[in-house]
Amino acid sequence: MSSVAPAWTALSPALLLGLTGLALLLVDTIRPNERSNTSMAVVSALGALASLSVTVWFVIAGTGHADAGGAITLLEGAVKVDTLALFFTAIFASVTALVVVAAHDYFHDHQRPAAFYSLTLFAATGMALLAVANSLAVVFVALEMVSLPSYALVAFLKKDRGSVEAGLKYFLVGALSSAVFLFGISLVYAATGSLIFGEVASAVESLDALAGVAGVGIVMIVGGVAFKTASVPFHFWAPEAYEGAPAPVSAFLSSASKAAGFVVAFRVFTEAFPLGASVAAGIDWALAFAVVAAVTMTLGNFAAAVQEEVKRMLAYSSIGHAGYALIGLAALSTGSAGNEAVMGAAMAHLLVYGFMNTGAFLFVAMAERWGIGRTFEDYAGLARRAPVACTAMAVFMFSLAGLPPFAGFFSKYFLFMGAIENGFLWLAGLGAVNSVVSLYYYSRVVRAMFLDDPATPSALDAIDVRPTALYAAVVFAAVATVLLLPGFGPVIEAAEAAAAALF
Amino acid sequence: MVPAQWYLILAAGIFCIGLFGVLTRSDALYFLMSVELMMNAANVNFVAFSLYYGDLTGQVFALFVIALAAAEVAIGIGIILVLYRNFGDIDVTVPTEMRW
Repeated sequence: MSSVAPAWTALSPALLLGLTGLALLLVDTIRPNERSNTSMAVVSALGALASLSVTVWFVIAGTGHADAGGAITLLEGAVKVDTLALFFTAIFASVTALVVVAAHDYFHDHQRPAAFYSLTLFAATGMALLAVANSLAVVFVALEMVSLPSYALVAFLKKDRGSVEAGLKYFLVGALSSAVFLFGISLVYAATGSLIFGEVASAVESLDALAGVAGVGIVMIVGGVAFKTASVPFHFWAPEAYEGAPAPVSAFLSSASKAAGFVVAFRVFTEAFPLGASVAAGIDWALAFAVVAAVTMTLGNFAAAVQEEVKRMLAYSSIGHAGYALIGLAALSTGSAGNEAVMGAAMAHLLVYGFMNTGAFLFVAMAERWGIGRTFEDYAGLARRAPVACTAMAVFMFSLAGLPPFAGFFSKYFLFMGAIENGFLWLAGLGAVNSVVSLYYYSRVVRAMFLDDPATPSALDAIDVRPTALYAAVVFAAVATVLLLPGFGPVIEAAEAAAAALF
Repeated sequence: MVPAQWYLILAAGIFCIGLFGVLTRSDALYFLMSVELMMNAANVNFVAFSLYYGDLTGQVFALFVIALAAAEVAIGIGIILVLYRNFGDIDVTVPTEMRW
């Protein structure tokens, strides 16, 4: 690839997303009265799919792979395209495509839908940039590029008090945590004199008097990562933001934005602060992540179990899943051969999660479009009126719970097995206990839809609306969740190969 | 030349003042100013250590941070505006539609 095309073309997945966003903004600005929601949605979906195709093509062609000349670095080493970056870009582009298709029906009567599509694509561009970042400066700029459109997206329904409140709380916690993250970066710069990951790593090996400064900096960076991935102690925004935001935005944030937090975490902590050198300097971040992972998954799952609203339950469940994925960092040990297996499994889990969780939130979007209410009881008997969508929702729920015939089972199985092989039996055990708890609240949704009777016979009459695009997005996410079952072998191989490049 | 550790102490002080403002003020505009203070504390570090190490990375990044902080304030003001329209106040403790 790099031998036949200029190196910058390795960034084309991110460029395609960004250019599509700019094109939408341009059309909306010069022809404000002739824009149509449908054409906007089609163009955004095509842009996201083009980015996805290029990414998949790169993965198959071996761009950035060790066999094909290794990672492609650009801009004085500040940007690095490798298999890890491409793997996560594929997640971001898929989720973006699903969300913009679903948004077509969700915002069918909205005044200015173009803003939604361009903001979503700009956030996706930031995520794709985050995946290739090889410098703390690029990480921070890209992180803000994800965050700023996200705040606006959460508060997108300007006249809806819930949406505005959610946007405010997301903004308050987000601005605070990005300031903390930035101060952490500045302390790392003070201690090491560089922002490029490789140079930071070699400086971390020879820290002396400044080890304390770097340590505080790293803890602050952990805090910034915890915000982006919605992990304890910076998880407070997540239930509010996901509940109040328009459901397609919740889907986007809880799947793509969370995966973006993880790509930063995986890359920064393996490449800039290698575990061996960090522990030698007295900074054991793996232990910090182990505690965060344990608390996050337990809190997320137990809080989800007591919710009455499906959307809020999914919000807490997404906190729980952040806890599982954090095992990928927490269960690392210096020089262990099992490191790439556990991190690869965490990446594969995030890919599967990208489809099943997006699908679940889009089902909630469909319920909001139908106007049938938000609680478990409101979903009673839904399967009789909308059997296809409810079957898809059941697939998402069982897959999220990690039941055997679904893709979510395999990703969790590999994750827990990897943790056990690396000597973290307690984390895997805690994860298994939490999965059992999660089965309770996920099956509540399925029971309400398939077994319970509607409260009143007329309760479901609103379902006569047929949001075709939403249906298509939900069904496609379900098909992807099921197809990832036979397709899990190539996915986990790609993920482990990507993780192996980090160690 | 002022020793580098004094800059660290200055930056930490500014950061803590900003953090104190974030935690104690419920007015959304004070919140924005306090966050700005925290980001500028990081800028002090970047510029001071850029000089200390003799490379330009820190100074250039400080310029990036100033631009990003401005963008963040722009989004923040927008959200505060819709907050005022919906709740008639810019006190961040007022909106409690959902459980916190």
